[in-house]
Amino acid sequence: MDKTKLGTFEAITLILSFVVAHTVLSLPKALVDVTKSSTLLNILYITVLAVIFVYLICFLFKKFPGMDILDISEYLGGKIFKNIVGFIFIFYFVISACIFLRNFAECLEIVYYPSTDIIFIVLFFIISIPITSKLNFNASLRANLIIVPLVLMSIVFLFFANIRYFTPQRIFPILGNGFKDTFIVGLTNIYSFSGIALIYFLPPLLKEPSKLTKLSVTGIIISSIYLLFVVSLILFMFPVFVSLDEVLPLYTIATYVEFGSFFQRLESVFLLIWLISFACYLSIIANFSFKIFKKITLIKDTKPIIYPFAILALGIALLPKNYAISKMYETKIYPYIMIGIVFFVSLALLLIAYIKKRKGEKLNE
Amino acid sequence: MNLKNILNNFLWRKEEKYDFTLCQSKNSNNANYIDDQLNLPENMFNSLSDNINIIKSRFNSMINTDIIIREFYININQRKIKAFIIFIDGMVDLNLVNNYILKPLMLNTTNNSENKILKESNKKNNKFTRSKKIFLEQSISNTLLPQNNIKKQRSFSEIISSINSGDCALFIDSLPFAFDLDVKGFKQRSISTPNNEVIIKGPQEAFVENLRTNTSMLRRIINNENLIIENVNIGKITKTKCAICYMRNIANDDLIAEVKYRINNLEIDSLLASGQLEQLIANENYIGIPEIISTERPDKTTKYLLQGRVIVIVNGCPYSIIMPGLFIDFMSSPEDSNIKPYFANFLRLIRLLSLTITLLLPGIYVAITNFHQEILPTELLNSILSARQSVPFPVIFEILIMEISFELIREAGVRVPSPVGPTIGIVGALVLGQAAVSANIVSPILIIIVALTGIASFAIPDFSFGFHLRIFRFAFIVLGYIAGFLGIGIGIFVYISNLCSIKSFGVSYLVPYAPKEDSNKNGYIIPPIWKQEFRANYLSTKRKEAQEKISMKWRYK
Repeated sequence: MDKTKLGTFEAITLILSFVVAHTVLSLPKALVDVTKSSTLLNILYITVLAVIFVYLICFLFKKFPGMDILDISEYLGGKIFKNIVGFIFIFYFVISACIFLRNFAECLEIVYYPSTDIIFIVLFFIISIPITSKLNFNASLRANLIIVPLVLMSIVFLFFANIRYFTPQRIFPILGNGFKDTFIVGLTNIYSFSGIALIYFLPPLLKEPSKLTKLSVTGIIISSIYLLFVVSLILFMFPVFVSLDEVLPLYTIATYVEFGSFFQRLESVFLLIWLISFACYLSIIANFSFKIFKKITLIKDTKPIIYPFAILALGIALLPKNYAISKMYETKIYPYIMIGIVFFVSLALLLIAYIKKRKGEKLNE
Repeated sequence: MNLKNILNNFLWRKEEKYDFTLCQSKNSNNANYIDDQLNLPENMFNSLSDNINIIKSRFNSMINTDIIIREFYININQRKIKAFIIFIDGMVDLNLVNNYILKPLMLNTTNNSENKILKESNKKNNKFTRSKKIFLEQSISNTLLPQNNIKKQRSFSEIISSINSGDCALFIDSLPFAFDLDVKGFKQRSISTPNNEVIIKGPQEAFVENLRTNTSMLRRIINNENLIIENVNIGKITKTKCAICYMRNIANDDLIAEVKYRINNLEIDSLLASGQLEQLIANENYIGIPEIISTERPDKTTKYLLQGRVIVIVNGCPYSIIMPGLFIDFMSSPEDSNIKPYFANFLRLIRLLSLTITLLLPGIYVAITNFHQEILPTELLNSILSARQSVPFPVIFEILIMEISFELIREAGVRVPSPVGPTIGIVGALVLGQAAVSANIVSPILIIIVALTGIASFAIPDFSFGFHLRIFRFAFIVLGYIAGFLGIGIGIFVYISNLCSIKSFGVSYLVPYAPKEDSNKNGYIIPPIWKQEFRANYLSTKRKEAQEKISMKWRYK
């Protein structure tokens, strides 16, 4: 058996890890900003769409058993096309991870390390990449299997610990700013299911490829439930028109948790869990980028590129001049890049490959 | 005495310092040199004088005082045949040698009735060779050596190995082999209670240094012929006997083969203890976490044997090593299966808590006091600050002083002679702790942190695992000091990733949790004994069922 094969649970938590890392940043607030009080309804709506989309991807993948998007692109347009697609995905993974890292580091600087240079905070996360990437591909994925449930539990804990501050009436008006904002403008919120990007690379990695549809849909549904919890926290605790602290909204909520006179400020503990999950997310991104790079360049061992990759990631993370610029990327540019690459380019590629395959089969008949 | 001597003695004396330096020859390899010099022939000779010369030369009988070579004559049918025995004094039972080897051979060999019968049967039966050698061999083996364990050894290396392990060798003129007689009789420790893995409820016997005693303990508990005990010799010089034990009908064949492969491919001169073997056959990992369980308890060993694991016992070491060793095994105690599952699970949760405390508490304390003070209630923060007010050192220095002092006390406590042991505790805990606080070197809260960490480290059932945690605690202290929870968080992630990357004999270290596998209720939480119907999937055992689906049939009759 291939040593890098993933079990069902590992694959599900892999899909979740992207959502988890993003929600630790400003995702929940960004969702609420777009759809206001109808965010919960919007999440249900985009969940249905994401599930349909995932079903469609898995259906198309059935024609190409054991192949990922790179193999399919090679089938479609040869090696050069495969390289182009590979580099697009590496670009997407690296850029998004680095900008998220910068944002997270900026938030940590504001919250805990005001006198520390941002480079040191970023460097801490970057150091973990080569260390864990040198272990093996499965190491960070399995670590993710332990860490993601912890994050989920932390959110559930936050939810119930803050339940006394909830004002359920805040979900009204149920359609927020109106039907158009909820169902048409709010369609862009589908970018919150960023874990879908990994589904394109899962088929050859799974122990049981036949379970691709099941695990992908399960991953999306759990992500959706998680998002509902997170958004509920923000929506029920703060008025939508009141600007919530722009730095780590979940952290702000965690500051409200208190049990008696002893446990009054537990936000650091939550932040500890979230930063572990964020480091795990970075490591997963790095591992997938190495895997893609290995596939397109046919190198035998990825170890020599680990350090250059880490330095590159550090450089990209330090590119934005300040928090405002990196935040703008996260909230204004990233969603469109994600939707463009994951929902349009990749789907179009799969569809064309599917049609080509069908035509080829018909010709053979 | 002349004047010069007097002056030399009283006024000036030339300093004559005794100085010994070991000469190092550039090209010599001592071990090879000895082997080449001896150039031992493979098989024995017919001539007794040749054999005795080789044996004497091999054992350096002129220098070695405990090598006993006794030459004598055996009388068979009025014919005197020259013979000799060789054994190591102190390793054999001299009573057995005198009464059951020398006495029959030297005194009872004149035309006894059995010899006559043997001679007649040889004459009648054509299948028997009539050669004198065979007659001699048979008459000695069948009538003159009243021993239950006699082997014929033709090669010098084998008979020498047997002599070294406490056997007596009998060489007879004209026979190209020697009789290997098992007359071992060296002094050894009797079975006693475990010293390092103490439990309240359960068997109270521990392994000893003798390999056969240890294997007999396993046989006695398992009481099944499917228990296989294979012997291998490790070490070119020591040829240490090791027993590879497994249940033929349970253990995975690949696992057995892997253990044998690793053990049979060791090129070492000596093996003195199971700890060395553990290091030689385990995979390397960056964090030095143990991948093989080591225990002095036969009951624990048996439990793992029945789960489908492979055990190795090294002669001369009262510990068995168990493969593969997984994370959940290092957090389990032999007592867990002897008490009700509620209590066992409670204890396991306590151990998990103790692991977290041992590894992280000092680091978290440093992180909180330096970066995350808001986590503490105001009153507690005030009391910590007021306690630290008179301490002139930074927290990191303070905690390192105390942690290293604690390690010193612990190490001294282990090495110190037992009558002085309690003194170390008193000096360490009371005098040093109290004095350090009074002298404002450390704060009282830090004493509590260090003490709690120390106590928690003692709750880890496995010594090697506890050691690993003790070492890594320092890494988390440094990380906490550098970057607070950020450093600790990254440290935890790297640590967990490392754990996830480790495999012990082909089994993932954190199984059944990462990767998630169906453990058939063999995970960290123990189900009631009647629910333990299957063996763990991750060991891929031949026999999946551990008991019937309904084990307590009496309830349904």
